[in-house]
Amino acid sequence: MKKCKQYKKDWPAFLSRQLNPKIMEVMSRHLQDCPACQDEVEQQRRLLTLADNFKKELQQVMATVDWEALPAVIASRLPEKEERQATATAGGGWRLWKWQPLAAGLFLGLLLGGALTFLVFKSREPGRLTARQETGIAMPAELVDRVDLVLARKETIDYLERSQYLLLDILQTGSAPASSLLQQERIRQLLTDKKYLNNQLDDLRLMKARAICDQIELLFLELSQLSPELSAAELERVRKMIEDKQLLLKINLVKKELQQSEV
Amino acid sequence: MEQKNGRADETQVEFLVDRVKQGDREAFMKLVACYQQKVFILAYSLVRNREDALDLVQEVFLRLYEKIHSYRAGENFQAWLMQIARNLSLDFLRRMKSRKKESLDSLDLDRADLAAAEADPSCFQSAEIIQKAVRALPEKQRLVFILHHFDDLKYGEIAGRLGIAEGTVKSLHFKAIQNLRKILTPQLGGGR
Repeated sequence: MKKCKQYKKDWPAFLSRQLNPKIMEVMSRHLQDCPACQDEVEQQRRLLTLADNFKKELQQVMATVDWEALPAVIASRLPEKEERQATATAGGGWRLWKWQPLAAGLFLGLLLGGALTFLVFKSREPGRLTARQETGIAMPAELVDRVDLVLARKETIDYLERSQYLLLDILQTGSAPASSLLQQERIRQLLTDKKYLNNQLDDLRLMKARAICDQIELLFLELSQLSPELSAAELERVRKMIEDKQLLLKINLVKKELQQSEV
Repeated sequence: MEQKNGRADETQVEFLVDRVKQGDREAFMKLVACYQQKVFILAYSLVRNREDALDLVQEVFLRLYEKIHSYRAGENFQAWLMQIARNLSLDFLRRMKSRKKESLDSLDLDRADLAAAEADPSCFQSAEIIQKAVRALPEKQRLVFILHHFDDLKYGEIAGRLGIAEGTVKSLHFKAIQNLRKILTPQLGGGR
């Protein structure tokens, strides 16, 4: 019995012949005498037979692809502009500096002049203005940045809160059919919202929030693939996933952090 | 340079990557030739459609060309490339999913398929079922399972490709098998 427990994790590696030959031999001997392990290995073998069927299909599909021609097809789609740029930097650029010192000196002078002008007038400048695309009204760049950040925080908190309620609902109501369709609708809505939120979460200051939002998104994607009425096993899997990743705790912490930095 | 199974050693890959950084189209094509099948296997295992998988292979290598300057010499190139392939495949699946959602008829497609398979295990398409079940696995387990069973890589090779420890690969493989058995209990029959 002790050995069965010890070997349990090694059966997949045993079936794939990934173990040391000596261990393989010991396990083979144990397998001959242990009906429980025989059953376990038989189950895994059946599973791997299914995998083999898919592999056969994969090999058939791969045989229909013209692998020799594919690199050329992909290369023909490469952006030509970038290629020209790369060639210029590889060869032509250096030659220009070598043979035209006058142009190089002029360019350097302009660069230094520009930098000095910037330094002299920088202190007198009232603050860089940024025009909002939507309104056309120019505002100081810092202000725009702050407004964007505050809005991003609010929307993230809102997203996290709705996700949290949904997760709690799923855990509490489980497979109740009346609520399942509604939950699916909410999952869909949250997945759509996350797509819009992604741009705002690109901000470095929201990295932590992004990580948790991505985890939630993955969970919702998994849930959206399941049927609306979760079976007991599915519900247990979801519950385990939420608990393993400590999603609810993380949501609370990130929410609190976002709210504090808002103040 | 290119071997039959598409493998190239690290020095050769570094050389090719350098050339690609300088805009060398030939080197790019060689790099594609080395890794195209690996990328295809990953993409096909996730999307299970020849044309979509081929489109993804093209997208992956075009993205690689675009981002090649962010690759630093000495990093695990395969792991880096597979990360791109994985991200693009998942993005593709997300897009497909949201398109599917727009059509009410297709909402219960997966559920109907699995239910039919449960009702008559003899007629279900085993390749289809295993592919769906593999897609339901958590990301890392799914990758390890695909690379081990469909790409025939050993634990050590998978560890190198994904940039993780060999023991972790073994453990992820074990978890993948356990989860697949749970998902496929009706098809496998008899399970505990």
